[in-house]
Amino acid sequence: MQNLILYSLSNFIPETILVVTIIVCIIADLIIRKKSFAVTFVAIVGLVLSFVFVVKQWGLSMSIFSGMLAIDNYAVFFKLLFIISTLFILLFVETSKEMKTASHKNEHVYLILSLTTGAYLMASSVNLIMMYISLEMVSLTSYILAGYLKKDKRSTEAAIKYIIYGAASSGIMLYGMTLIYGYTATMNINEIFLYLSKNPITDTPVLLASVIMISAGFGYKISSVPFHFWTPDVYEGAPIPITAFLAVTSSAAGFSVLVRFFLVGFANTEIITAVKWQEVIIVFSIASMIIGNFVAVWQTSLKRLLAYSSIAQSGYILLGLAVVNSAGLFAVILYLSAYLFMNLGAFYVTILIHNKLGTDNMDEMDGLGYRSPFIGVTMAVFMFSLAGIPATVGFIGKFYIFSALINTNSPNLTWLAVVGLLNSVVSLFFYVKVLKHMFLNKPEKPLPELDYGYANILITLLLAVPTILFGLYFTPLLRLAENSIKIFGLN
Amino acid sequence: MDKFFIFVLIFPLLGFIINLLFGKRIKSEKFIGIFSSAVVLIPFLIAVYFLIYLFSLEPQSRFITLNLLSWIAAGFFNIQFSFLIDPLSLCMVLVVTGVGFLIHWYSIGYMHNDSMFSRFFAYMNLFILSMLILVLADNFLLLFLGWEGVGLCSYLLIGFWYEKKFTGDAAKKAFIVNRIGDFGFMIAMFLIFLNFGTLNISQFLAAIPVSFEFNSGLLVAVSLLLFLGATGKSAQIPLFVWLPDAMAGPTPVSALIHAATMVTAGVYLIARCSLLYVYSPITTNIVLIIGIFTALIAAVIAAKQNDIKKILAYSTISQLGFMFVALGTFTYWLAIFHLITHAFFKALLFLGSGSVIHAMSDEQDIRNMGALKDKMKITYYTFLIGALAISGIPPLAGFWSKDEILFKTFLNSGLIFYIVLLGIAFLTAFYMFRLVTLTFYGEPRYAANIHPHESPKSMTIPLLILCGLSVIGGFIGLPHITHLPNFLERFLSVVFDKTETALMMYSQVNKPEVSLEIILLILSVVVALISITYSYKKFSAVKKFKASRGFAKIVENKFYVDEIYDRIIVNPLYFISDKLLWKIFDIKIIDGFINGLADFIKKSGEDWRRIQSGIVQDYALITVSGIIIIIIYLIFF
Repeated sequence: MQNLILYSLSNFIPETILVVTIIVCIIADLIIRKKSFAVTFVAIVGLVLSFVFVVKQWGLSMSIFSGMLAIDNYAVFFKLLFIISTLFILLFVETSKEMKTASHKNEHVYLILSLTTGAYLMASSVNLIMMYISLEMVSLTSYILAGYLKKDKRSTEAAIKYIIYGAASSGIMLYGMTLIYGYTATMNINEIFLYLSKNPITDTPVLLASVIMISAGFGYKISSVPFHFWTPDVYEGAPIPITAFLAVTSSAAGFSVLVRFFLVGFANTEIITAVKWQEVIIVFSIASMIIGNFVAVWQTSLKRLLAYSSIAQSGYILLGLAVVNSAGLFAVILYLSAYLFMNLGAFYVTILIHNKLGTDNMDEMDGLGYRSPFIGVTMAVFMFSLAGIPATVGFIGKFYIFSALINTNSPNLTWLAVVGLLNSVVSLFFYVKVLKHMFLNKPEKPLPELDYGYANILITLLLAVPTILFGLYFTPLLRLAENSIKIFGLN
Repeated sequence: MDKFFIFVLIFPLLGFIINLLFGKRIKSEKFIGIFSSAVVLIPFLIAVYFLIYLFSLEPQSRFITLNLLSWIAAGFFNIQFSFLIDPLSLCMVLVVTGVGFLIHWYSIGYMHNDSMFSRFFAYMNLFILSMLILVLADNFLLLFLGWEGVGLCSYLLIGFWYEKKFTGDAAKKAFIVNRIGDFGFMIAMFLIFLNFGTLNISQFLAAIPVSFEFNSGLLVAVSLLLFLGATGKSAQIPLFVWLPDAMAGPTPVSALIHAATMVTAGVYLIARCSLLYVYSPITTNIVLIIGIFTALIAAVIAAKQNDIKKILAYSTISQLGFMFVALGTFTYWLAIFHLITHAFFKALLFLGSGSVIHAMSDEQDIRNMGALKDKMKITYYTFLIGALAISGIPPLAGFWSKDEILFKTFLNSGLIFYIVLLGIAFLTAFYMFRLVTLTFYGEPRYAANIHPHESPKSMTIPLLILCGLSVIGGFIGLPHITHLPNFLERFLSVVFDKTETALMMYSQVNKPEVSLEIILLILSVVVALISITYSYKKFSAVKKFKASRGFAKIVENKFYVDEIYDRIIVNPLYFISDKLLWKIFDIKIIDGFINGLADFIKKSGEDWRRIQSGIVQDYALITVSGIIIIIIYLIFF
């Protein structure tokens, strides 16, 4: 037993490093007692170290802690994605004016790291209990982060709403899990799969109900309709760097566990016909795309617009899961990599605008493209990428999602692709609306030019350049995605 | 070691990026000029090194594929970012970088004090990069990337002085006319991918002899479509109209892009796909006829033009016609030979004309020049040599390549074509010496306030070097009767040997007779000399210019080709788009539908928006009822 734990620990180094870093950050914060870059720097060092050890796990395929966690390429891909996004978020916080108004000085650093640790565990958990605990770990930190600006009423309100809504969702999920346990007598998803595929499926209503209840927990993490209600309010109330963090890391973590849950536990034609989860996913996906896009059309706040855009983007990603084959999963991985750059980029530009204007209302952004051409052009890059215009990485993501749907030759899935495409057209409307405000609308009186420092420009470029580069030369992303999904053994 | 070749591309790219990003901050014109020229010179030196390296290899192994990375891999569609270094592409690289370097150097003087100095060099570097990608690409898509890249640079540089309206119009015209050709190129690519499953040029060519007959429908279609692309880029009938207008750009641009390099891309494309053209002799005949017609019409028009650059532009079209004639008589190496010599003397002539324009304070009308030969000696002598070279006076470069084309046409296509070509050669010498005479001899006809002067050294030295190349450039491809080695033919033969084999199967190539060749050679020199003398006599005494009438007027107005195109293509197109497509189809049908749809979307978005009330209890209620509804639906339906 002791040996087993030691063996497991030797493959648990990336997580251990993060935990140690969190402790060091807390101690450092206690000693320094004022706002200091040193704490952030410690966190960055910890993340980079963790990165090195995560990369070492590439190619491994094993399960540790008695089948609680899996170490495989799929988990490695997500951990890398979390590290990159966390690094960016730490930089975002450093350059955001909004975060400087917080009464706590360095606490966000280790809260962010805790969320990342939770996300790590989500990506590798193969046991329902582990899935629940890691998801709660991410959620609890998210609540604190959402209410980080204690003096700001909206931030506090967002946190409260988030807690209530999150508690309800995870309660529903937990109930679903107990039903599954009652049915299969195991918590491990591999064993659940074995049980379901070996024994004839009776009592389908119980299974159905449990699967849908569990999807409620995951669906809330990825802001899929009808579990999306918290998204616009929290996104709007939370400080923008935190919103970006929730939109990318937390959402990607939700996908990592959702995909693993269904494609490991329930990916078998018989199970799919009995449990009908594919149809559930399709319904969620269509609803997310339509509600997300249609309501986004109405938004005047850039943050709310991005919130609805995230709901719609979740819908596109769910399309890839709905295909239930390797091409679909491949597209999901590809889309998430694209999503990392373009969504973080869109949020960072929002931060930069907020820094200067103190608002994210789009009416205030009239003529911004001329006041700061850099902001205008990079925003255009991210908006076009989110809309899926060619020569950006967003196009590649959408292209593979739709081609996976069409290549199944099933008429229903082809129709789904058509729905997705039409939704992209609608989404173009509000993405371009942002640019219309920046370039075509003239402000009432001429406003001064905005200057941004080198650090701001550099961070933006670090996101904008990959958005374009991977749109033109995407072979590395394809290789990465190809290798990340091998463990699922899908056809 | 082969990987080293990549620097040929990296340097111009570097030049482009630095000039674009930091050009405005770098105040020193000298630095920008020297830097931008150096990033073209270094690739030239690398190319020279690789030339020597290729010579050290066995002829059969003179093909180096440089596979950098996989660009697009989606299912069967696999495009590599890879380049082919072989004698043909290396010849092109040497011309592009060699002549390109000289023109960059010349531009330092020519563009002096221009407010957009650094941007000019950024575009020029980008052009060199695109052109190199074009000639080095080993698949059609990458070639097309370069093809569009040079098109873009051509557009940007024609419209470089965008404050003047006509430069913008000329740029647009060049771009739009080229799109017609690009359309053909793209359809050809689609057909190739559909039927051959690859876009790799060598794989495509290798598949032709295996599975196709001569003149099979697909090959004819593909070759015709590629040729349509070539007529766009290389300004042949019916798409030649953009090139004369392209002279609105700065003169170095005309020399580099619209004379020496880009416009020869079509010639290169067909030479690269020579096997395809041997397998579709129908297309080859069309190439020959189009080439000869273009050469004739352009030469006739050139004889009546008065703008110094327009004359050279029509002359370029005419000379490109000669290259297509060579392609149309299956002598591919010869087309490349004429391409090289033409690059030398035409770049020289353009740069010379630039020097004249510079000296005359931007005057371009040769009727307002005259007697410049004593004012600017270097320009005069180098220009004269360029003019002699293009007229075909031995032993200058143009003589060898042009005479060989005349001779091969006589052998392969018969007497009539030969006579027409001889006529064009006569016209060439005639319009060139009309230009030389009116510009440099006779009485000065320019306004008194213009004081012509010799150009600065940075302009005259490139002229002298190009002049030297125009003198000796022809010796790389001496005809058989001289009993001296023909370097170029032998060097390129390994590229075209499969083509030659296929050609043997198709037709009997006539054996050249030595006595005949000598007779024809003397004949063409005599024709050129008569034409030069006649032209000099006719124009050296001219004092007044009468308005032309009758046929001369038609020629002066370029056969009204632009006007005819306007009448039969542009105006009907405008009419249909405006009255039918826009006012009825677009506004009524499409806009109506779209606006209706948009209203619907906004309306439903508005309704759904209300659900987001901000009250968290409502949210929980909706979520839970959502779950219950789904469960009930799935269980009972």
